[in-house]
Amino acid sequence: MTTTEHMSDGPVPTAGHDVVLDVRDLSVTFSSEDGPLDAVRGVTYQVRRGEALGIVGESGSGKSVTSMAIMGLLPRTARVTGSARVLDQEVIGLGDAAISRIRGEKIAMIFQDPLTSLNPVYTIGYQIAEAVLTHRDVTKKQARERAVELLDKVGIPNPERRVDQYPHELSGGMRQRVVIAIAMANDPDVIIADEPTTALDVTVQAQVLEALEAARRETGAALVLITHDLGVVAGHVDRVAVMYAGRLVETGTVEDVFYRPRMPYALGLLGSVPRLDGGRHERLTPILGTPPSLLNLPRGCAFAPRCPMAQDICQEEVPELAEPADIGAPGAGEEDDPLRRHRSACHFSEQLAGVRPEDLFRPTSVDAEAPAEVLAAELGGTRPAGGAAGEAPEAEPGTGAGTPGGGSEVLLTATDLVKNFPIRSKGILRRKVGEVQAVSGISLELREHETLALVGESGCGKSTTARLLLQLIRRTSGDVRYMGRPLHDLSDAQMRPLRRDLQLVFQDPFASLDPRMTVSDTVAEPLQIHGRAKGARTRVKELLELVGLNPEHGSRYPHEFSGGQRQRIGIARALALNPKVLILDEPVSALDVSIQAGVINLLEDLQDELGLSYLFVSHDLSVVRHIADRVAVMYLGKIVETGTTDQLFSAPAHPYTQALISAIPLPDPVKERTRERIVVTGDVPSPADPPSGCRFRTRCPKFAGELSEAERVRCVEEPPDLLDRGTGHRDACHYSQVVELI
Amino acid sequence: MLVYTARRLAVAIPVLLAASVLVFLMVDLSGDPLADMRLAQPPPSEEAIAAAEARYYLDRSTPERYWLWMTGIGGNGDIGLLQGEFGPSVRGGAFDIGEQLASGISVTLRLVSAALVFALGLAVISGVVSAMRQYSKLDYTLTFIGFLALAMPTFWLGALIREGGLVFNQSTGTSFFFTIGANSARVGNMTNWEYFLDSAGHLVLPTITLMLTSYAAWSRYQRTSMLEVLNSDYVRLARSKGVRNSVVVRRHALRTALIPLVTVATIGFVGIIEGVVITETIFQWRGLGYFFIEAVRAQDAFALMSWLMLSGTLVVVANLIADILYGVLDPRIRYE
Repeated sequence: MTTTEHMSDGPVPTAGHDVVLDVRDLSVTFSSEDGPLDAVRGVTYQVRRGEALGIVGESGSGKSVTSMAIMGLLPRTARVTGSARVLDQEVIGLGDAAISRIRGEKIAMIFQDPLTSLNPVYTIGYQIAEAVLTHRDVTKKQARERAVELLDKVGIPNPERRVDQYPHELSGGMRQRVVIAIAMANDPDVIIADEPTTALDVTVQAQVLEALEAARRETGAALVLITHDLGVVAGHVDRVAVMYAGRLVETGTVEDVFYRPRMPYALGLLGSVPRLDGGRHERLTPILGTPPSLLNLPRGCAFAPRCPMAQDICQEEVPELAEPADIGAPGAGEEDDPLRRHRSACHFSEQLAGVRPEDLFRPTSVDAEAPAEVLAAELGGTRPAGGAAGEAPEAEPGTGAGTPGGGSEVLLTATDLVKNFPIRSKGILRRKVGEVQAVSGISLELREHETLALVGESGCGKSTTARLLLQLIRRTSGDVRYMGRPLHDLSDAQMRPLRRDLQLVFQDPFASLDPRMTVSDTVAEPLQIHGRAKGARTRVKELLELVGLNPEHGSRYPHEFSGGQRQRIGIARALALNPKVLILDEPVSALDVSIQAGVINLLEDLQDELGLSYLFVSHDLSVVRHIADRVAVMYLGKIVETGTTDQLFSAPAHPYTQALISAIPLPDPVKERTRERIVVTGDVPSPADPPSGCRFRTRCPKFAGELSEAERVRCVEEPPDLLDRGTGHRDACHYSQVVELI
Repeated sequence: MLVYTARRLAVAIPVLLAASVLVFLMVDLSGDPLADMRLAQPPPSEEAIAAAEARYYLDRSTPERYWLWMTGIGGNGDIGLLQGEFGPSVRGGAFDIGEQLASGISVTLRLVSAALVFALGLAVISGVVSAMRQYSKLDYTLTFIGFLALAMPTFWLGALIREGGLVFNQSTGTSFFFTIGANSARVGNMTNWEYFLDSAGHLVLPTITLMLTSYAAWSRYQRTSMLEVLNSDYVRLARSKGVRNSVVVRRHALRTALIPLVTVATIGFVGIIEGVVITETIFQWRGLGYFFIEAVRAQDAFALMSWLMLSGTLVVVANLIADILYGVLDPRIRYE
């Protein structure tokens, strides 16, 4: 990519003296068997000392590749052009020796997955000390002391002891802190954090973001925070750059980009995020279609095929990243900072002033390649038309039959459900040496036409519960009933006819479809198993249409579909037998937000049309708030709080629920920065050896901060019961107290 | 680490015991060692047969014989593995199984260790080079050599290499390559240094024969595992710290990439023991391979069982070494 005229990012802002990272017209091309793949196309940005820039985009947008190019970490096969200057020194094209002197010393990087970022065969102390020894002329002893000091700074307790441990002895959150410690070892001028918290649970995410802030304060480094999570960006950066298909499409201060977006893609992203502070069942507005293949990019604006505003010029000409004409020069008294100016890459950015996502995007649930062209015309007027064909977005789905407790029939119940997995010794004898208490006495009810969400962090037992309900694994004790009939004693053969009513949708749309079966065969398989092969062909077409897919695509194989489409195929398969209950195990957590919104809308529509009941297992409280009628919060195998969605989110009573809610970042810069925080410390204890009394007490902010010695005794000795506080809202805390958080 | 090693050692004992039962039963079930004698013309006398049966303990029951073979208690003093006696050979009193095994093993271990060291060393080097220069000409060349070696059976390759050595010697008029035996005939009047050179010279062609298949397989494994590690997050992190590439490869990539090779090489060690029988036959070595073939020919049950137990022990020891190596290379293994 040496021809840069057609993809230059417009007039290059003159950078001030304090710029520590100056990226200009950076492009990266990978050669692939199908031709050149333009992963990054002419990216230009600057970051000042101490400043934080967020780069937001979905998978494949080139946000990680850009930083890898700056770090010189791309494989040989990548062609990098353009310039990146760290403290005025060009780093693109440097040899190994020269770039090694800059890496870690002036610019450091934090990677996504803390479980794989550290070398398993060296102690963490060694790995931190290595960073120091590489750039500083110190003794090994001094390097080790520095390692201990750094571990302390990122908030690792007992650094003296931890320093000699191996990575596998530390939790994910701890390991990510070690990576942050490595990054800050030499007081770098720039820290690039590439999705630093994506692999972590929310309460741990909050702790790690805090450690990252500490690293910034300590080193005074500029931060480039790369993430797909708009909430994380909102709270932690000064400026945002939105990336799409390898280009920056909008830049500006967080406030400008979040409150006044001027690029349809940015607008679409904001509209497709389910929000913790949004109302339940407010329709999301997905962006139709899928991101373009970087192999054959359209000639004009890469977003044009998905853009409801697209016109002829968008197909022809790449829009420059420029200030919309109507914004104009900063007024008197306003500081004119070229880096903070609001720029967007859209031919029609002027028309987007004051436009909200729902004005532009349809709250649809179908999966289509591109929005109807009519829409573009509609936008010419001021107010767009409301619903798409056959849909009424104003309708409040879920009212009526969906409201909980309305005397509707109880379908699925679990009473005092317990599941212990034995821990066996290694060796031939395989003696039972302990038990993992995955689920410890859970009771729940799923009513007709209701969505019950089961939420909690990884390892809390929510997926195990889902599997127990379906009799996919056998319970240790307790019972499970479906329409009054006990399921737990049924043999597999007896269970089979009931499986028609109880279906499962999996988390991973890539692993849950057989790659060697066509979509039709996949969807028809349950029909065949249950002896309904007759008319299966028509039924499959119906089903594909039902989940918003083109029924003509039935003869294709899974790899020809995107993640969102595959998840729709999984849903169609689950619906084949007309089930009454769908158990959805993290159905949208593997999807990009713009795609996720469409699947969420689909699930809502299906529930209304077919009268389904959902057990929605998720770690994502924002999605849960959006889709669920009732919520049960799990911690270490127990339900700690349950109530209607409104009760739980507006008046959480258990300290764990409060901590969870307050740890979820809001995609709203002002709210996110000013809200009250309830922070939990540490990691989830091992379910093989849960704390006595209340299982949450070891991390409980109330236990640690508010309770007296005498009060604490009760938490330590007496496991709290799940008690009704009068309104059907139940919590398991001896000292529960409602707090308003949103 | 000490506890870990001790535990590994403790596991090896039942394994060897199980192996001994299997070895004994299989040889015992494979036929009557005196069949030839019974069918001989003129037929030997009843007494002669009875005497032979008594000498080889064939008059006892199977469990009794196993007991005898292991402990020697109740035998004639020529049997009992635990007492260091391997049992009477059908090839007469002059053929002492223990002595023959000992002389065989000293020759064979030379060959096996040379092949093992070179196969492992070269496999690691070419695997690492291939991975670091993926899709380069060098990588393609090494890949080609690897698959070529994998595709050729040892017995044929061995004959070819020996023939090649002979042709070279003839056409140059020298005796550069040794193609027969483990040492020259005139070993008796050599200095130590000369003896060493002579042995090394004789090792060249058989070592190449024996190692090629293993080298080929192992270098492929090493390439794959090295590629995986080079693309791993922790190697990327190490580079992002500013550690020079050559140091990253040595310190961070190679060590973890060696762990899977330990497994593969341990399994492959059995293949080398198999290969040694063929290689020794081709180059007319009087090592363990030769011992094995002669024992089979003579239907020498005790010799055969001794050989099988010895190979079994070698494999168990190899596994033990591999387990200890795991512990050294990978701290996660030490904590069970």
